[in-house]
Amino acid sequence: MLSFIGRSIIQKIITLFFVMVISFLIIHLAPGEPSQVDPLNPKFTPEMVERFRKAFHLDEPLHVQFVYFYRDLFTGKTISWKDNEPVLKKIGERFLNSLPLFIVATILIWTLAFPIGVRSAIVRGGAYDRLATFFSYLLYSIPGFFFAYILILLIVNAFHVPVIGMKTFGLTDVSLLRTGMDRVWHLVLPSVLEATVGIAVLSRYVRSQMLEVEGQDYVRTARAKGLPPEQVHYKHALRNALLPFVTMFGLMLPGLIGGSVIIESIFSWPGIGRMAYEAILSRDYPIILSINFISAVLVLIGTFISDILYMVVDPRIRL
Amino acid sequence: MIVRRILIGAPMVLIIFLLQSYLWVPTYEQQTRGNPERLTEYITASIGDASILNPILSADSASNDIESKVFEGLIDRDKELRFRGRLAKSWKIYEEAFFYINEKASIPHLGKATAPEVVKLLKRARGGYVPVGAHVKTSLDNIREIAIVPAREFLVTRQEKVMGKAAEKTAVRIRVMAPDRIKLILKNVDQDLFKSLSTILGSDYFHSFPAQDYLSGDEGGPDGSRGKVDYAQEVLPATEHNPVIIFYLRPHVKFHDGHLFEARDVKFTYEAIMDPKNLSPRIADYEPVKEVEVVDPLTVRIFYKRLYSPALGTWGIGILPEHLLNSEALKKEAMRIGNDPERFSMRQSSFNRHPIGCGPFVFQEWKSDQYIALARFDDYWEGPPQYKRFMYRIIPDLLTQEMEFYAGTVDSYDVQPHQVQRLKNDPAYQNFSGLTFGYTYIGYNMRRAPFNDPRVRRALGMAIDVHKIIQYVLYGQGERITGPFVKQTDYYNHLITPLPYDPEGALKLLAEAGWRRNKEGWLEKDGKRFQFTLITNSGNDLRKAVLTIAQDSWKQIGVDVRTDVVEWAVFVQERVDKADFDALILGWNMGIEPDLYQIWHSSQTHPYQLNFVGFKDPLADDLIIKIRQEYDHRRQVAYCRQLHELIAREQPYTFLYASKWTAVLDKRIVIRETDAAGNIIYRKITPTKTGNYTFYFNKWIKLSEAPVFSAKD
Amino acid sequence: MTKTDNKALFRDTGAEEGPRAPRESRLREFWRLLRRNRLAFSGLAIFVFFFFVAFSGLVLTSGTRPVFDPAIVRLQEKLRPPLSEPNLANLLPKEIPTLGVYLFGTDDLGRDVFARMLQGAWVSLTVGFVAVGIAVLIGIGMGGISGYFGRNPVRVDHILLAFIVSLGGGLLIGGAFFAGGVLLLIGSTYILFSLWRKKWSGKQSAQKLLRLLHKDTISIDTLIMRIVDIMLCFPVFFLILTVVALLPASMYNIMIVIGLTSWMGTTRFVRAELLSLREQDFVTAAKALGVSDWRIIFRHMIPNAMAPVLVSATIGIASAILIEAGLSFLGFGVPPPHATWGNILSDGKRFIFDAPWLTFIPGFAILIVVLAFNLFGEGLRDILNPKLRERY
Repeated sequence: MLSFIGRSIIQKIITLFFVMVISFLIIHLAPGEPSQVDPLNPKFTPEMVERFRKAFHLDEPLHVQFVYFYRDLFTGKTISWKDNEPVLKKIGERFLNSLPLFIVATILIWTLAFPIGVRSAIVRGGAYDRLATFFSYLLYSIPGFFFAYILILLIVNAFHVPVIGMKTFGLTDVSLLRTGMDRVWHLVLPSVLEATVGIAVLSRYVRSQMLEVEGQDYVRTARAKGLPPEQVHYKHALRNALLPFVTMFGLMLPGLIGGSVIIESIFSWPGIGRMAYEAILSRDYPIILSINFISAVLVLIGTFISDILYMVVDPRIRL
Repeated sequence: MIVRRILIGAPMVLIIFLLQSYLWVPTYEQQTRGNPERLTEYITASIGDASILNPILSADSASNDIESKVFEGLIDRDKELRFRGRLAKSWKIYEEAFFYINEKASIPHLGKATAPEVVKLLKRARGGYVPVGAHVKTSLDNIREIAIVPAREFLVTRQEKVMGKAAEKTAVRIRVMAPDRIKLILKNVDQDLFKSLSTILGSDYFHSFPAQDYLSGDEGGPDGSRGKVDYAQEVLPATEHNPVIIFYLRPHVKFHDGHLFEARDVKFTYEAIMDPKNLSPRIADYEPVKEVEVVDPLTVRIFYKRLYSPALGTWGIGILPEHLLNSEALKKEAMRIGNDPERFSMRQSSFNRHPIGCGPFVFQEWKSDQYIALARFDDYWEGPPQYKRFMYRIIPDLLTQEMEFYAGTVDSYDVQPHQVQRLKNDPAYQNFSGLTFGYTYIGYNMRRAPFNDPRVRRALGMAIDVHKIIQYVLYGQGERITGPFVKQTDYYNHLITPLPYDPEGALKLLAEAGWRRNKEGWLEKDGKRFQFTLITNSGNDLRKAVLTIAQDSWKQIGVDVRTDVVEWAVFVQERVDKADFDALILGWNMGIEPDLYQIWHSSQTHPYQLNFVGFKDPLADDLIIKIRQEYDHRRQVAYCRQLHELIAREQPYTFLYASKWTAVLDKRIVIRETDAAGNIIYRKITPTKTGNYTFYFNKWIKLSEAPVFSAKD
Repeated sequence: MTKTDNKALFRDTGAEEGPRAPRESRLREFWRLLRRNRLAFSGLAIFVFFFFVAFSGLVLTSGTRPVFDPAIVRLQEKLRPPLSEPNLANLLPKEIPTLGVYLFGTDDLGRDVFARMLQGAWVSLTVGFVAVGIAVLIGIGMGGISGYFGRNPVRVDHILLAFIVSLGGGLLIGGAFFAGGVLLLIGSTYILFSLWRKKWSGKQSAQKLLRLLHKDTISIDTLIMRIVDIMLCFPVFFLILTVVALLPASMYNIMIVIGLTSWMGTTRFVRAELLSLREQDFVTAAKALGVSDWRIIFRHMIPNAMAPVLVSATIGIASAILIEAGLSFLGFGVPPPHATWGNILSDGKRFIFDAPWLTFIPGFAILIVVLAFNLFGEGLRDILNPKLRERY
């Protein structure tokens, strides 16, 4: 166990290093430069562009820039080129905005996918199952922004209430409960939209796991014993089918920082995804690279946790 | 079965909880009824967030929007686009002109003359004792004072390249023995002064001034004699124009923190722009400034190195509070957050996220990508605005901006022409539009054939139905233009007729240039098909539409056009800067100043410069320089109109249209004023003649009911 | 051994593999199962229909005088609703739509949406197919190497060589021609040198340096799986967006980038299949007969591992179309003049109140096609996987 952990950590650090190198190269080798260095601004003289390049270390060779950047990142000194704010502070702020979305979407996914998937598996082949299959594929196939616009149009036209942003603007001097509920309302649409694909995929996965388990001998035995089908399904089968899902908790980790660019742009939700997108547009390299780095770290930690959890819940596995 | 119940119950509870929150959210009507505070708040939406709230550092429009509310400049433009005083009560422009006595030159009827003799001659000429032409007379009448600056000696150090070692430079000390100099103080700036004086002093008097004779130092300078002469003329210019602006500042103006605004803040703002550590994008505007002098706390005098007529306009820049940003304050801030004080500059200061100025609104809060909140400044010198709060919301999607407008949580947004078309007839809204200061054009790379032929450029322009573009793509929210000046200013020459839409005529012109249709219908010359690529940047739907239309129209007359839409950064760096394009669609956002040097002067055609189409015309160059140096509005207008005509004839661009900005507001937003008797009167918001509807923004307020105005409003 | 012998052998091994019914009947069985799965069958029907539309779109909208010209701009006829009659009075003869009506209406420049959708079908299909094609090729290659040669070690000199050559290539691209050239030269000399050594002196050299160079590090399998891990660390959409936003916009870049970022799943499937296949008797037999490794992989093993690849490819095409639509929404999709359903949709959304058909027609078209691909892929999975089949 310990040796597995040790080996795995070393492996992950090496992987991380390559991720750092590759993402750095992708960004720096691409044509174009940060928008602060905008030569088509009549007010910019070539000398100024040169000075900006110097200030951003863009005139140094690549490997020196690489060292500078990651040295700053690890000491927490990286600043965004756009506004000179510390990158970590900016990411932290956005993370707090994305967090409620992530939480509500995750709860929606997990609470809805299970009943749908389980029931699908129990009545497999039936009308309900086929309907559920069809709808989960429908949700999976619909272009996110198209769906978002349809929903927004429906709601704004039918109810005349604001849905964009994190809260209703211009709402002052009202009770705490009301502002709270207002915020919840603004969470509903974006989180439902972020959850659609998740619900579709997870419910399919639950269904196939249930099917797998229902075919096992011990479930057949339980059924043969004459236990009520309810109990067979929900006690014997479901419990065992749940096993692999425990490991998925680890894999959810990267979702913390991977808010959907499209949904956040449409709902003008100031989350991480949008910040990343805007950073790409203005070529704010420190932000792009930091987000990339953090998400890679989260992916690696996530797989690590899920490996460990797998070992813990399934005694058959010894790595 | 409990598991089953949980499985079904949990999602139910969750969904019900989420949906019931709907009941707490106010609808459009409730927002104003149940919440009177909402009426005193103005919320506007923008696609992008501000980047840095410091007028000398920012270069984006969102930051600009906020800065214009928080900061105040010395002057700005009134509704007729004339200058009016803000922090400056008034100002005066005059000139100090200098020339060195040319001891070797011979003056007509006088011979070689010393300084006192020249002064005497000039005084006599001014007194009318010397017969001169009318032009010279005006120049002489303009002279207020004549004085002698006595000869003096000084040392300069010059960095010189060492022969053979290109990179190394040595400091060479040069002793300069400057001769007597005449100082003329003029009532008004006069770019023809020396031309006029040379009719009195002899046509060669200034040209033949032997500056190099007054320099001595390490002899045999390595640059050769040519370089030395140039350098000598740099150190001892025969003639020099030094325009001067005096600003008389408004007394008792306060910054938001209560500190009094004074002349040193102006000087500080100038120095901050020029400080290379700050990397200010405005530096080019202030480079001609020689010195900013604080005369007394309410008077500031600005000397310029040379004639530069756009100078006055640059003082609309927001004035920074010196007491918060001077080197001591910055040092303290650096120490507090543990940064190296040596490397810490204004760019890193937290001021840029918590700006303090003396504008009508006080900065309150900035949540990145969410909103920027401002509150009114009760001590504003012109009286506080009507709105208590100003919110700047960032909504990146145009469609959702519109949704929010319907939901009542923004008061104005970047409304698109097609939306105006729809909302125009809605009785709840009022709408405005007016010309912007920018225009859209198709530029041709004149270095490449066949675009070096003006007939071809003209023909291509004639093949596009611009009128139709304005009518259908812009929904009428645009006007045709024929040249590079802002249409609502005097500089624009209204006598020039736009190119007609005439594909037949275009074909005729092309035939003159040697292009004829081949069997397949494509134009051909010497067996080569007329084929090129038209590019524009991505992210601009209008330009994309123009791209498609141009391609289609040119196809009609047999020109084979490829199109390419390129991402902005790549577009600029790979295509525009390196002049690697055939034709492109772009827009210029102009200032009101008619200075076209960077875009049209022939010296600006190199890579990374803005005359990327490669327009070269000696006549145009001459006019551009003259416009730049002319301080008299009437004469400047005359030059501009000439230049406009010239450019319209050459057609280096196909000038398409100046688009209009559009705005839609709730009808309940009106202007509130108090008349002389103390009665409150309401007026309808109307755009000014030059197309600015927010001109009276400080007087705007939202009412709970839309007032009824009499017909004459 | 000659080629004909090999073929004969393959047939033998094929027969040996299992006493199953001949091929034709397999296809028939497949068809029977597909017919029974109604969702998948309708998916296939739409799939085929979409192909037909895309091909006819290619034929009907290209060339100098296409039947349906998606590029004709008729500004005076902008935003006409579907099925509306053109206003003949102010149109030139060649501007009249082929069908006599605007079947799907016109867009904001008065272009015929039907013609654009036809053109877009082909482009969207190409984007999906090429992207997935790239992904599948890389996936099979990597997975194949990993699953078959997985146990072979990577030696120190391999790593050094790869490093030197890639550094040389990088320097060459970066502009340092001399240093890059020298490095590449060193690399190729070493390759020749080792080939020569292998040929002429099979004996192990006793030299220390060479022994160090020939020291084993990790197995090929580990190497490839680590590369997969590295790729999985990137948030896919974000990565695609970054690359597409930074590179010059072009249809090919988008296809390549989507392809290069979605091969990891295929690699894993192929590897897993190969790992289990290589232990099977028919492979051992082929090996014993001296069939070359590559031949075993590509003739004998890959065809047997194709089932999951096919399924993931079908679903991959669907998601490539969706990704393209998402990129279009953010303004980084396939640039004009190519119309794709994604950019028709994202261009049209500005006019959702004025011309809802500009949003809904491409939106639902994408939805239906993607849904069809997914349902068909899902059906394929059920049919090709005998283990699952038994359950019904």
